[in-house]
Amino acid sequence: MTNAVVPPAWAERLLRLLLAPADREIVSGDLLEAYRDDVHPARGRRRADLWYIRQVAWFAWRAAWLWGALLAAAVIGRDVLDRLSPTTEFYARSLVSTYTAIGIFVCAGLMAAWRSHSVAAGTLIGALTGAFAAVIVEVASPGQLAIWHDPHTLAMIDASGGLSEVFFLPLIVIVPGTMCATIGAVLGRGLAWSMRSRLSD
Amino acid sequence: MAEHLGAFEQAVLLSLVRLGDEAYGRAIMQEVQSRLEREVAAGAVHATLERLQRKGLVTSRIGPGTPVRAGRPRRYYRPRPAGIRALNEARAAVDNLWHGIRWPLGAAKGRI
Repeated sequence: MTNAVVPPAWAERLLRLLLAPADREIVSGDLLEAYRDDVHPARGRRRADLWYIRQVAWFAWRAAWLWGALLAAAVIGRDVLDRLSPTTEFYARSLVSTYTAIGIFVCAGLMAAWRSHSVAAGTLIGALTGAFAAVIVEVASPGQLAIWHDPHTLAMIDASGGLSEVFFLPLIVIVPGTMCATIGAVLGRGLAWSMRSRLSD
Repeated sequence: MAEHLGAFEQAVLLSLVRLGDEAYGRAIMQEVQSRLEREVAAGAVHATLERLQRKGLVTSRIGPGTPVRAGRPRRYYRPRPAGIRALNEARAAVDNLWHGIRWPLGAAKGRI
């Protein structure tokens, strides 16, 4: 064991960002101790670093998976609705889908910042939410096309943005979604700050 | 009736019983890993401890750090009476399920 051995600095910064202030020192200390005493001596530098990154990824996954799953469900649900109940008037549906997605991103950012007292954590969780949802939608879209590929459905897809939209929209949404999550994070940080000052009064 | 415990919650609570006064994050993770014979995420252990504490089954206190963890403090956990009750009930429920069945089950498709 050597106290000079340290895990990747960026991963440790990320971990501290994701944790609640009360857990920051304790959990990062537990991981550092395990890294130095157990994992590094047994597996060597490279694999110990990978172990540490996996531990940090778990915390990120825990904070983002539910929002990502909700967002993916909203997108896939909208697609299925369009297939089962075709329409030429997409305005109302688009409005509902757009505000649902904005709501999910804002909530993801708000909750992450509320918990960690960090706006950056909200931004990060927003980006991860978008990325996770994009992966699910990218996997689900070919499945939907395999089920519904009659000429009428394909013509409807063409009329509402084409196949490229089906596959690229989930990726494009990540950037504005992250911005929405950052707005939520600012709100969450403000709420956490006002609650703390109210409690300390 | 005591709180229902999942398998991982039982593993974490039992590690607190085994470790006694030395039950802090990294030690709990090691103990759970050795009992379950698989690697577990530190975050999963931490989330479970947080949940057990919210349920009122576990209590914690902050202790001093050590040089190997760069002086960062440790949080020591201890099961509360409600946690011990929940463990006893979980064990009794499993014993009831297995009552009258020879273990290990034989190759005869689990026939008694």
